[in-house]
Amino acid sequence: MNRQRLLNGIVGVFIALLIGAIIMVIQGYNPILTYQALFQYSLFGWYPFATTLKNAVPLVLTGLSAAMAFASGVVNLGQPGQLVMGALFATVGGLYLDLPPALMVLVLSVLAMLGGVLWAGVAAMLRRWFEMSEFIVTLMLNMIADFFTMWAITYPFKDATAYSPMTPQINSNGWLPVIGDFNSSIFFMIVAVAVMWFFFNRWKAGYEWRISGQNSLFARLGGCDIQKNFLGVMLLTGALAGLAGGLVVMAGPHRFIKGLGANYAWDGVMIAIVANNGLMATFLYGLFFSAIQTGALGMELITDVPSEIAQVLQAVLVLVIVASREYLNTTLEKAAARRQARMRQT
Amino acid sequence: MKALIGLINGMISGATPILLAALGGVFTYYAGVFNIAMEGMMLVGAFFAVLGSYFFGSWLWGVGLAILGSLALALIFILFAVVLKTDEFVTGIALNLFALGITTYLLRQIFKVKGVFSNPGIIPIPVIKIPLLANVPVLGEVISGQNLMVYVAIFITWLSYFLIFRTRFGLRLRAAGYNAARLDSSGVSSARMRVWSLLICGVFCGLAGAFLSLGYVNLFTENMSAGRGWISLAAIILVNGHPLGVALISLLFGFSDGLGLLLQGYQVPAQFTAMVPYLATLIALYFYAVRERKRKQIL
Repeated sequence: MNRQRLLNGIVGVFIALLIGAIIMVIQGYNPILTYQALFQYSLFGWYPFATTLKNAVPLVLTGLSAAMAFASGVVNLGQPGQLVMGALFATVGGLYLDLPPALMVLVLSVLAMLGGVLWAGVAAMLRRWFEMSEFIVTLMLNMIADFFTMWAITYPFKDATAYSPMTPQINSNGWLPVIGDFNSSIFFMIVAVAVMWFFFNRWKAGYEWRISGQNSLFARLGGCDIQKNFLGVMLLTGALAGLAGGLVVMAGPHRFIKGLGANYAWDGVMIAIVANNGLMATFLYGLFFSAIQTGALGMELITDVPSEIAQVLQAVLVLVIVASREYLNTTLEKAAARRQARMRQT
Repeated sequence: MKALIGLINGMISGATPILLAALGGVFTYYAGVFNIAMEGMMLVGAFFAVLGSYFFGSWLWGVGLAILGSLALALIFILFAVVLKTDEFVTGIALNLFALGITTYLLRQIFKVKGVFSNPGIIPIPVIKIPLLANVPVLGEVISGQNLMVYVAIFITWLSYFLIFRTRFGLRLRAAGYNAARLDSSGVSSARMRVWSLLICGVFCGLAGAFLSLGYVNLFTENMSAGRGWISLAAIILVNGHPLGVALISLLFGFSDGLGLLLQGYQVPAQFTAMVPYLATLIALYFYAVRERKRKQIL
């Protein structure tokens, strides 16, 4: 089963890159040179690789958030909103707090998670008290969070010296240290993936969540508290998305800039879907998507291809990988059924 | 009085794109397709409307290309969800992201700009003045002088109602959603009904997109559908898909849109007034949830 997934992933990526190449040829670009430039700027060499890893942090964390929610049967599509709220909380904390470096980073991370938890909590409470479906509620909350953070960085927390909406830089004790080429936000990502994997696959609560996702009736009859589990999933996935936002602020621009969370979180949802809600697969696809995004920026420098091609490539990747997975599954099932039928005949 | 007329006109133009997209979604709702790609279809429609209008110098071309672009997205949906039987939710999400990616890419590739393309060469959809009514004081300012697409939307509301509830096609469409296996066994392919519903949805969402970029405003911005596709989905769910109910709900959302514009005149920051339609959606969902709960208690 694992080998089949790996095979499907590789085949899907290959077909998607091929379709991307066809798109480039139609537009009159050289696909081989383009791909070469793309991966040269994202994977080959320590610095490009370190940049890819750093850019993967928000993708992987929001991807984890979406994957865990979907796998538990909770349609939390609120990652974009939870991310910007987390980023805003961390930024405001970073502006007004002054603590020793290590403590500061931890406090800001907790604040970021708190921001995500609060925003996810709104959706969770609306569902719990009024039975409002979290699907559309989280989507609407995304838009509201977007406008709210935009207001916050335009009026109360605006950097008076800046021309466009942004906050001042946060206290430098809250900046994540850079070790060699590697930003330490990568460390947070790896720890988060490891802890979440352990939690989801080895702990009782994680088991209950997964079972609720697969068959909620069975889970209820087996004695799981569905309401409590729903709340837990919502809040934890909110915390993950919020942390992603906080880390973006602490690792990168050290301030909240307009359009900060533009695409990360939706890319995270996309990655979770491609990974079929597997946590390790989410991690790997997150790295791969980050490689494409990071490489595209470099590619633009030495070829004529605009970096926006990365977005097209990603969408093609999603459609092709998902479709080929379903197609492969049905073909394999058919083959297995045929084999069984033949065995019975003889 | 001026403010009131402004509010009503704001309501009408705010409601039109949501109404058109929602009517498309009504067909897929009855056919039993979980279609969340309205957002993407509308966005692609808006882009191709600007493209057609700018290059061919006619809004008619714009609307035509908008429909074709949106239909192309519907065809991809059909390929994946109906033919390859990929999960509809996953297909919808991926298509919305694809729409965002491709329009951003083409905006850069064709118009050589990032973010916004606005140009006097983009010909908007004309405003229709109804000869005699235009002179009636208040009524004339509301009923006459609206964008052509507004009248089209009103016609399509009636058309949708007629098609779904008064024709054989509509009966089969509803049967496909109600019990697909029954429909198949009676000799009508339910997959074909789903395909038809998606194609119709593509056309209507194309019109919605065209109104957005050639009527509501006269330019294209990245991600300009801005959640309207999701709001239209909410509108459908709130009234269980009835076209006339959808029209009413759309007007309600349009009203909140117009209210937002009105509040901007009273020193409320633009970011808060822009939230109003999304807050209105949440409030509407609350009333829906309360009603559903009461219904369950009675049963």
